[in-house]
Amino acid sequence: MKNTIRIERAIKDITQADLAERVGVSRQTINSIETNRYIPSSVLALKIARVFNKPVEEIFILEEGD
Amino acid sequence: MRSRYLFPYRSRFLGFLLILAHIVIMYIWRRGFHVDADRELHGISDGMALFSRGHLFFIATSLLVLAGLFLIAFSKEKVEDEQIAQLRLDSLRWAIYFYYLTLVLSIVFTSGIDYVDILRINTWVPLLFFIVRFRWVIFRLNRSLV
Repeated sequence: MKNTIRIERAIKDITQADLAERVGVSRQTINSIETNRYIPSSVLALKIARVFNKPVEEIFILEEGD
Repeated sequence: MRSRYLFPYRSRFLGFLLILAHIVIMYIWRRGFHVDADRELHGISDGMALFSRGHLFFIATSLLVLAGLFLIAFSKEKVEDEQIAQLRLDSLRWAIYFYYLTLVLSIVFTSGIDYVDILRINTWVPLLFFIVRFRWVIFRLNRSLV
């Protein structure tokens, strides 16, 4: 599963730390998600999507083989 | 995600204190009583009768170490989020694997009185494996930020 968090962050001009604070996780976790090393739970994915005011599917995209 | 059944963040430092206390006590004990005490601790002499001095000492120090390791292993991280929870679970799995590997090896390659040592070692081995592996992945996670 890939995601567009880095792009969305750039559009909204917020840092990893800002996003982490708003969804209640560590900066490390946001970084891991952005670099595809960690798949967030559905709760966290929904929270992240809400920060960007977009549906989850626009931020998290399934890949071949998922 | 809420992580239940974990100790507060600061209890980790209490854990380190308990381990330190254990090391100091063992050092003094061994210096003071030398070989006899060692034999007593290993349950070889009569001193290992139930609730005898040697046995009580063994109980006290074992509990000290176990409590310390427990607090270190199962205290919360500063930000205890879902990724940490996953790493915790993963480390626990590895710890169990390694634990049984060492257990099998020690069963195969020891006999007789060594069995007491196996018991003594196996009281803290799984926790130690867990702590080492968990701290290692946390370290790598933090380093990935730089």
